[in-house]
Amino acid sequence: MNFKLNSLSLLCIAAFAAPALATSLVPAAAQQGAVLLNDATLHTVSNGVLENTDLLMVDGKIAAIGKDLSAPAGGTVVELQGKHVYPGLIALANQLGLVEIEAVRATDDTREVTDTNPDVRAQVAYDAQSDVIPTVRSNGISYSLVFPAGSLLMGQSSLMQLDAWNWQDATVKSGVALHINWPNASVLSSPWNPKKPEDVAKQNAEALQKLYDTMAQAKAYVDAKKAGAIKALDSRWEAMIPVFSGERAVFAHAEDARQIRQAIALADKYQLKLTIVGGRDSWRVADELAARKVPVIFGSPFGIPERDDEAVDTAYATPAKLAKAGVTFALAIGSYWDSRNLAFGAGQAVAFGLDKEQALAAVTLNAAKIAGVDDQLGSLEVGKAATVVVSEGDILDYRSSKISSMWIDGRAVDLNNKQKDLHQKYQQRYSR
Amino acid sequence: MKPLRLSLLSAAVVCAVAPAWADPTQPLQGIRDNSAQLLAFTGAVVHTEPGKMLSNATVLVQSGKITAVGTNLKIPAGFRQIDVAGYHLYPGFIDLYGQYGVEKAAATSHGGRGDGPMYQNPRKGGNAVNAAIHAEQRWADSFMPNADEAKAYQQQGFTTVQSARQDGIFRGQAVVASTGKGLPGELILKADGQHFLSFDPGSSKQSYPSSLMGSIALVRQTLADAQWYQQAYGKADWRLFREPVPFNSALAALGQLHQIGLVFEVNNERNLLRADSLLKEFNLPKVALVASGYEYVRAADVKKTGRNLIVPLAYPAAPSVGKLDDQLDVSLADLRHWERAPTNAGALEKAGVNFALTTHKLDDKAKFWPNVRTAIKYGLSTEKALAALTTVPAELIGMPGQLGRIASGYQADLVVSKGDLFKDGEIVATWNRGVETQFKPLQNADVAGDYTLNVAGKALKLSLTGALGKVEGKVLSAEKGSDKEAKLENLSVDKQQVQFGFSLKDVDAGDGVALFSGSMAGNLLQGTLQLPDGSQQALTLSRQAAVAKADEKKAEDSTLLSTLSLPNQAYGLSSAPQRQNVHIKNATVWTSDKAGKLENTDVIVRDGVFTQIGKNLKTPSGFVEIDATGMHLTAGIIDEHSHIAIESGVNEGSDAVTSEVHIGDVLNPDDINIYRGLAGGTTTAQLLHGSANPIGGKAQVIQLRWGVSPEALKFKAAPPSIKFALGENVKQSNWGDNYTSRYPQSRVGVETTVRDAFQAAKEYKAAWAAYDDLSSSEQKRTVPPRVDYRLQTLVEILDNKRFVHTHSYVASEILMLIKLADETGFKVTTFTHILEGYKTAKEMKEHGASASTFADWWAYKMEVKDAIPTNTCLMADQGVVVSVNSDSPDLQRRLNQEAAKSVKYCGMSEEEALKMVTINPAIQLKVDHKVGSIAEGKQADFVLWSEHPLSVYARAMQTWIDGTKYYDRNIDMTLNASIEREKQQLVQKVLKAPDSAKAGSGGEMKKPEPIWHCEDNGDYLDLAFGRVAGAQQHAHQHNQQH
Repeated sequence: MNFKLNSLSLLCIAAFAAPALATSLVPAAAQQGAVLLNDATLHTVSNGVLENTDLLMVDGKIAAIGKDLSAPAGGTVVELQGKHVYPGLIALANQLGLVEIEAVRATDDTREVTDTNPDVRAQVAYDAQSDVIPTVRSNGISYSLVFPAGSLLMGQSSLMQLDAWNWQDATVKSGVALHINWPNASVLSSPWNPKKPEDVAKQNAEALQKLYDTMAQAKAYVDAKKAGAIKALDSRWEAMIPVFSGERAVFAHAEDARQIRQAIALADKYQLKLTIVGGRDSWRVADELAARKVPVIFGSPFGIPERDDEAVDTAYATPAKLAKAGVTFALAIGSYWDSRNLAFGAGQAVAFGLDKEQALAAVTLNAAKIAGVDDQLGSLEVGKAATVVVSEGDILDYRSSKISSMWIDGRAVDLNNKQKDLHQKYQQRYSR
Repeated sequence: MKPLRLSLLSAAVVCAVAPAWADPTQPLQGIRDNSAQLLAFTGAVVHTEPGKMLSNATVLVQSGKITAVGTNLKIPAGFRQIDVAGYHLYPGFIDLYGQYGVEKAAATSHGGRGDGPMYQNPRKGGNAVNAAIHAEQRWADSFMPNADEAKAYQQQGFTTVQSARQDGIFRGQAVVASTGKGLPGELILKADGQHFLSFDPGSSKQSYPSSLMGSIALVRQTLADAQWYQQAYGKADWRLFREPVPFNSALAALGQLHQIGLVFEVNNERNLLRADSLLKEFNLPKVALVASGYEYVRAADVKKTGRNLIVPLAYPAAPSVGKLDDQLDVSLADLRHWERAPTNAGALEKAGVNFALTTHKLDDKAKFWPNVRTAIKYGLSTEKALAALTTVPAELIGMPGQLGRIASGYQADLVVSKGDLFKDGEIVATWNRGVETQFKPLQNADVAGDYTLNVAGKALKLSLTGALGKVEGKVLSAEKGSDKEAKLENLSVDKQQVQFGFSLKDVDAGDGVALFSGSMAGNLLQGTLQLPDGSQQALTLSRQAAVAKADEKKAEDSTLLSTLSLPNQAYGLSSAPQRQNVHIKNATVWTSDKAGKLENTDVIVRDGVFTQIGKNLKTPSGFVEIDATGMHLTAGIIDEHSHIAIESGVNEGSDAVTSEVHIGDVLNPDDINIYRGLAGGTTTAQLLHGSANPIGGKAQVIQLRWGVSPEALKFKAAPPSIKFALGENVKQSNWGDNYTSRYPQSRVGVETTVRDAFQAAKEYKAAWAAYDDLSSSEQKRTVPPRVDYRLQTLVEILDNKRFVHTHSYVASEILMLIKLADETGFKVTTFTHILEGYKTAKEMKEHGASASTFADWWAYKMEVKDAIPTNTCLMADQGVVVSVNSDSPDLQRRLNQEAAKSVKYCGMSEEEALKMVTINPAIQLKVDHKVGSIAEGKQADFVLWSEHPLSVYARAMQTWIDGTKYYDRNIDMTLNASIEREKQQLVQKVLKAPDSAKAGSGGEMKKPEPIWHCEDNGDYLDLAFGRVAGAQQHAHQHNQQH
């Protein structure tokens, strides 16, 4: 037996950029000439699957999609017969770049103390040099929405593109949402410290009261400021102004049906633009979510049943149930390194009843919608960012997901990573 | 009729009668008490023993002993008559499992984890090496009667209680005492009662044991030590032993265990079976097991143990379902147990189990009798119930000739009940050795019955109904066609006197109210009726027939709504699946064998074995046909590294070497993750101890047979194996600041720890060999080597009888262990996790080790920073046998996908990739002769997939083990609806149940078991036994650690 790295991917990289060691991966330069992706299967998401179709990228945007396009003078033609082109995948709600080695505290910038951190912004700790990022990128993921962890008001998330020098040029959109870690409502969440249902309910009520009190305090500040009645700025409540105005979404991390209903109630009170993150029980309240047009970032495409009585495929089948109920949803996986399995989570949902196109949308266009960037990202449409991924086959399946190239804003991304380097290094050991 | 001379005024009267047995050494204060001690109980319904009843009988008692029982006894002169006509007399009840008169343990959390570990028990006198062992305690020595506790027992009729402090694993020797009054020594009936045991370390702060398997190992080692101590202590020739055998009172106390017997408390029915088999290893005959309340689930298995049980009647509170939201936290299993807990005693009776009853676990002893009656409603016979309170426990404590019967020569322990105690009777007095403790005035002979009387020329009928003291009545017109009746007003029945009034008008016998006062003697009620005009009429009313007491309460519905399945929870099976002969037609067969992948192929399975593989085969007659057109058939998936189906602790994470503990001791066949694994096509898994110590516990290979016994889970074809671990987990890198004292704290110390342990094992083996070489007379003189289960396991490894699977990550530690193993003389069978295996593949191959890795995990801790998803390919390229494992119940449902990742990341061929979850792990577990591929002659473990098995779109449609279908997705998809239906029926039952049934009586639901991970090393026993866990060592903020 002799297994090799996907040689095609190396070839493709060679076509556009000098192969670099993963430790010195260089972010791609801005797009210079036009690039024509010729004769590919385009998974547009917004307009179905187009066979044997061309896609033209100019100045970082998709300039044209159609049959038999020709490259402008000086442009590059990439032959993609039989290959599949997708919009760059969007991984929502993780901590990529905020943590390097989970068990080593010094490498962890994911959370802050206190439970009133609406002013905290994830992107400022985003390490564009992280060894983890290229391993995620090389699986077709071009964007990540990173959020700070914590309790109650955790802070603001930012959408990052995954080929950058630093957090500033990585940031696509900052202040995407205020993330709220919803107070626990389930006895099942603490098998190590078993509590009686009444005790959990009491703790939930107390924490919820605290959240309501905090919101009231924030709202009072915002109203006072409007009336010109504040003496000094409060950094925390300043950050709540766009939340109350509806400009900034609220992402409530809520798994249990009770938490989801509580989040909807709070959103009603303050007219918040609510999205549920996690949503393990979202299938139980799918109709309510659909009726109120609350989107869901479903975080457990591979989840194990939360309760012993639930069917083994409860989590697998949840995306299909959400789709059937008419809920807008995206899929998310993992906290950082494991977000590279995002596409397979979508594939898993297909195995358990979700339409393939909807599954793809759940990691592209719907994710862009939820992050508020669907005018630029998430589908192959003229005028949108030229962020595309090429796979040898169906990107949702392990058997055929072989990512050969990626462009972010028309920039050809180096798909090497530390793991591929190590592979090559130790191949040397055995070939001597 | 002589009036009773005893004080009837207060409940629980302290009688002025001297106790039957007084301590002669006690100096006299005041005047001697030589009150007569001759008693004659007359007129009672005497239940002399289970199934035997004498009506209107007399019991003679002399000096605290029964001297005669009979129906026509003449009361000898000088006996004080106690008229208990109409009352029921029972032998005093015996509770074998109490804490009466012993000081309770302080409530502390075991381990005191917040304060850090405690590896050694401070030694004091001859105490045991472990702080959970209190075998040297002889509770008679500190027995102290307690009036309040005694009264609580007596009110339920208990006159004898066997007690020890219910704390720890070996709890000491119990004392059997009377609940009567007197000096402690007077009350002790048996100073050398049985030893109490459990799996719960209780208030011990010692780190060991922290798991159920550790508890079991500690019991095993201690029992072996006790045997050894008997042979060894005091012997002068200690040539095979480093020093004279030290004095140990705990071991000495256990020397007589065979004669004395023991009582072992468990917290669920699986632990009951475990306790039984553990004690059988030591041929301990006199054993009673304190049941958990869950035995009805496996009553037949409990019967098979042949053990006597002590059964509590504490029922659990109903799960809260009052609010819709509450139901999110409620499991079908708990709802079922709430409904079925009262059936436990009846189910055990039906299964033929011999048992006593106990008040143990009741939150209020006053609930004992209501609960007995509920048990009777749900199938317990009154005869068995009485036996379980009298003759059975008397037998079990070796006092069958003194206690448990109302018969001549027996102790005069009597329970006086107004009415039949097993229906709705009420205990009014309890006699301990001829001394009364009274709770209600003895009153009122039975007056229930019909009487005819004539008033003002009208024929009337007086009808009295009800129990003693709770009598109701009415007067009816006796004339034909009349339905007139008058309720009795101011009815009072006080001792023999009966008074009431009734409206004459209501029965057409005039105007006004007539008042009666009379006295009951036998069947005659004699007295006077005063009419409205003041005239009086003497009446002698003859009872015509004692009518059956009107059943006032409508019998409660005892219909059970819940299903009983194995396991008794959602997705449990009502009946065991049967092996089938099948013909699978037209599948794409992935053989994981030389034949490779075969399209459009048939497979025939006969008697659990693949017998034929080919195209267009003929269906043998009687074979089930499965049309697998479009489907893929693979061998059952095999997982080298799993922690499912383990009860109460995956790590004995206390000592650095714990090779005495065994996952096989704590298999949990009820873990839902077995079913979930089947749903992902997994049929075989090696259940490994966690990674908290360099030399961990023994592993157990299982087949995922859902709905079987722990024993049936075991894969007999698999040779023994064990878990080692290297790196961060064993050096406690991520355990927190309290864990910096255990050796080793670094990889350098891991090496010496393992090396020294094997050296000790070699010396141990040599000592036994030397001992075996001694002549038998020399052996008698010589202190024998001590059986050491920890070292014995390592000897098995050296003898190539047990195989090592070692958790490991980085190159340095891999090379270290290979070198150490080569030098020591054992083989590492499999490096598991082994994320840097690609760096040392050559050395692993040379050593002969295989590798079982994660498909793509990395970055979660320092030692996995160089992990790569192409590890599999690089190792396979060097000829290492590679598998991918789950280490999680989630991944175990999709190991096919984990294998597929090597196709993606390094272009492994699809057939080779599938072998990483079929034949390769079979080779690693040394079961490849039996399973792992589809080949003629192999055991028929297989999976039918909806699609290409390495595709993300594939679903396991059917999973078979040994020719038996354990999972069928089409059936599975219907189960959820029936589970929800049953749940809702039970929820409705809870909502409609009376408050008492909702509140329960102290019974407990099983504690939910967490999903176990490699590095979970907290105190599982705190969790299992309901102490709040405190500072648990488990860090899953968001990612897994392994």
